[in-house]
Amino acid sequence: MSGQTVKTRKGEWEARLADIKYSLYLLRKNPLVMTGIAIAAFFIAVALLANVIVDPKLAYPEGYPGEMYPFDRKYMWNANHFIQWGPGISLYYGPEFFYLGTDSYGRDLLKMIILAIPLDLYYAVVITLIAAFFGTLLGAIAGYAGGVIDEIILRITDVFFAFPGLVLALVLASILERSLETLQLAIVLVWWPPYVRLMRGQVLSEKEKPYVEALRALGASHTRILFRHILLNSIFPIIVQATMDFGGVILTFSALMFLGFSPSPAIPELGNLAADGYGHIFDAPWVIIFPGLTMLIISLAFNLVGDGLRDVLDPRLRR
Amino acid sequence: MKNYLKKQGKDQPILEIRNLKLDFHTYRGEVKALNGVDLKLYPEEVLALVGESGCGKSVTALAITGLLPENASIIEGEVLFKGENLLKKSKEEMREFRMSECAIVFQDPATYLNPVLKMETQLKEAILLNKEALKKAVIAEEKGEKIGYAEFLAMKANPNEVSVKDHRVSRRKIDKMAEKLIIDILKLVKLPDPERIIQSYPHELSGGMKQRTMIAMALARRPSIFLADEITTALDVTIQAQILHLLRELRKKIATSTLMITHDLSVAAEIADRIAVMYGGNVVEVTSTRKLFRKPLHPYTQLLLRAIPNILKPVERLESIPGTVPEMINPPPGCRFNPRCPFVMEVCKGERPKLEEVEEGHEVACYLYKR
Amino acid sequence: MKLYEYVIRRLILLVFVLFAVSILVFYLTRGFPRGIAPWAPYIHPKMTAEQIEAVIKAHGFDRPIYEQYFYWLRDILSGDWGLTGTWAQGKPANEVFFNHFPYTVELSVFGTLITVCIGIPLGIISAIKNNKLPDHISRIIALAGYSTPSYWFGFMLQLIFFYYFSLWGLPHLPSSGASALGKPNITGLPLLDGLLSGNFAYAWDEFIHLILPSFSLAFISLGFLARIVRASMLEVLRQDYIVMARSKGLKERVVIYRHALKNALIPAVTLTGIFFASLLGGAMITEYVFSWPGVGQQALRAIFQGDSNFILIYSLVFATIIVLANLVVDVLYAFLDPRIRY
Repeated sequence: MSGQTVKTRKGEWEARLADIKYSLYLLRKNPLVMTGIAIAAFFIAVALLANVIVDPKLAYPEGYPGEMYPFDRKYMWNANHFIQWGPGISLYYGPEFFYLGTDSYGRDLLKMIILAIPLDLYYAVVITLIAAFFGTLLGAIAGYAGGVIDEIILRITDVFFAFPGLVLALVLASILERSLETLQLAIVLVWWPPYVRLMRGQVLSEKEKPYVEALRALGASHTRILFRHILLNSIFPIIVQATMDFGGVILTFSALMFLGFSPSPAIPELGNLAADGYGHIFDAPWVIIFPGLTMLIISLAFNLVGDGLRDVLDPRLRR
Repeated sequence: MKNYLKKQGKDQPILEIRNLKLDFHTYRGEVKALNGVDLKLYPEEVLALVGESGCGKSVTALAITGLLPENASIIEGEVLFKGENLLKKSKEEMREFRMSECAIVFQDPATYLNPVLKMETQLKEAILLNKEALKKAVIAEEKGEKIGYAEFLAMKANPNEVSVKDHRVSRRKIDKMAEKLIIDILKLVKLPDPERIIQSYPHELSGGMKQRTMIAMALARRPSIFLADEITTALDVTIQAQILHLLRELRKKIATSTLMITHDLSVAAEIADRIAVMYGGNVVEVTSTRKLFRKPLHPYTQLLLRAIPNILKPVERLESIPGTVPEMINPPPGCRFNPRCPFVMEVCKGERPKLEEVEEGHEVACYLYKR
Repeated sequence: MKLYEYVIRRLILLVFVLFAVSILVFYLTRGFPRGIAPWAPYIHPKMTAEQIEAVIKAHGFDRPIYEQYFYWLRDILSGDWGLTGTWAQGKPANEVFFNHFPYTVELSVFGTLITVCIGIPLGIISAIKNNKLPDHISRIIALAGYSTPSYWFGFMLQLIFFYYFSLWGLPHLPSSGASALGKPNITGLPLLDGLLSGNFAYAWDEFIHLILPSFSLAFISLGFLARIVRASMLEVLRQDYIVMARSKGLKERVVIYRHALKNALIPAVTLTGIFFASLLGGAMITEYVFSWPGVGQQALRAIFQGDSNFILIYSLVFATIIVLANLVVDVLYAFLDPRIRY
């Protein structure tokens, strides 16, 4: 997609459309990507319908009369289920059937997972978008402006890169008041640096291309060149990175919740649900297994898509 | 020419391509790159394959050596080397073919040399492939014979009966012999200071030097067929002249059959015995160099030659061939030149004309000359 | 630019980065207004008001923040990193840090080894058999690893290899902690010390304890490495010099190993270097799940408690490691690729 000459408006969109059609064709040829897309679509559908399928009030035991969650439902597995998790597993003989067992509040785990999916997806999308947006913006400015501005932005990015793993996010999460929004902020601050580098690299190489010189000769302003032309041409690696990061962000978010940074232990969120079962790994393994497995599948789906997209959009592998 | 060859028992072509048709599968459709190529290469001659970019010359070379990319498929035809059809050979057999019978030198030495390996490795591996031959050379040397590249060549032409199985030759000796021969070959291609070149990396050498090393790698395998795919195109004119001069000298010393692929008629004129003109995936005319320039028969060749400006006469306008090169996904039916041909007839749009000999040593594929 | 000029420039940058990191962390842990007081980790409920005052004065929390910073700077330059909070019995921060660091080193080394040994071949196969079945299988493995939540995977390993194996009567791997058999006394690395001092039972025990956590770490990252190797190999295999090598009649295996690999592995090597360095940062979650006594686990506790001294020494040490690793890797790149020689 890069290295194009300046086209007329009509020609430009036609060319882009043809490119997109070709990309879709390549995508269709790859079975892994199609699987990823299917799974991702499934989860998005679940997320959108979650509040319809499952009553969200079921997540908060405090709101209910005591009989809703009788004591003997804590960490329960069904007695008539065909998987025997092992000796010492508490069994449940009541009228209700829990496909995936119950957690420490006696809530049906399957229902909790369904409720958790939209929450996780929402925050993952928001975090990725914000991080990508700011990172790309800074990277574009750094790459295009060069000089002092470039140095400053680069140094700031270096500082953020120097923090090992999740430390910064954890420190931030621990000092700010506990809420999902602050977690969001903490993660955004950790995930934006890669975009800066990525976008800066793209802009640097685009800057040298002849069409930029042509645009300058035509009298286009810097902002116009940067945003209307260079950005559009460099957007694809960003999209790929964002899609792949999506899987990573979801993992980070739930990891933070798992470590104990969630505002309330009852919030239906995949990491939070897993943390619930941490003390009882061996006698109620399902509490960690299933939320984690769901996390894995969601992340895998998006990573498959992102990976496939990267293959498809790699300009050297086309045609 | 033919009678002379007959006397030498060399009137049979060493390489013959019959009606080769080849397609490439792409997203846009089937690219019908080769449309029934007929070609004969005789022993010890230099045959130039001339044509515009995109006419299928390099593809032909790749088809001969078995280096076609995965999306290529051969529809029809044969490539006969000493009577055997190369297209029917296994990958392993083709590998051996490339190892000892056929060497190809490519166009751009900068990208065709591995940047992280020393020249030593890349040169030696060409010759170390044939351990048997090297063993024989070492043994002969130990017997007191002087072994240089010339002798090494001769050993291929006249294999002696010495069995190698009984002698054990150490690896070091083989390696040393390989190195000696390589240095000899480098001297043969007129590279100064071969010892230093061996220790260099490709990016430390100039374009002309790199191209010579590529030729050296080809010579190291003592090929019966030498394919040169636009080897001078990436070089500037003075270097080009040097390489051609080198090839002419080598030609006297080394009796290989050479297929010289080029788009430049002047290069062909310099060095070829015969010239084959290709257009749109077909060979349209084949004859000796003199005859081609004196009496071109095919309309395309005639227009091509007219397009070359004559520096001795005053020229006001450059002549060109009207129209454009055919699009290979939907090529014109019949003779692919018919949209641009000044002498086009109805029959030209029907079935493609086959290459036929219309005079002694002069073949054309055109209905103008059909008997 | 000459090599040493480049290195010097980067080192100056390192100093700058360290300052920036220290200021940032210092402010966040001590200056930022939040619910808990910055001296909270250093006191316990049984203390009297005077004792608390004394602690506050001793740590300097009563001074304004910029003064605190300068005192802290002066202290660390003379080697005093301050004391840790009650969660680590108030021992000096650097002592706690360096006691636990070798364990993290062990984990990182093993983790990296496994990642490299599985990840690189996976990537190569993927590239050679591009778009055929082995490619798809190794892609799924790679991506699955990359998508796995580390807490979940560690737990699954423990469940299967410890709990269920012992239930089924199979020999099982320990689920947590490091070996308790001996004490690291020579190099500080338990495994190495066990071998060096002849206490092979100790070394073996430590090794067994290392298996699950290293594998847990490795599984997640080998996917990433495999992807890089695959992309790199595919790029290389399309190059003209590969066609040239084949045209010489070389065996396909030789073409791949001698010509393609050397070119393709350059980015992989650099990536491994950086990966190793970041592992040294302590894979916190893995250490947490496996109760591995490494530095990441300590850092996690410190962060929860708000122990600024420990968090500071931890952040600074690892900022240094990461920046140095990046530098080493960049220089290494120059050596590996003859075209970029200085």
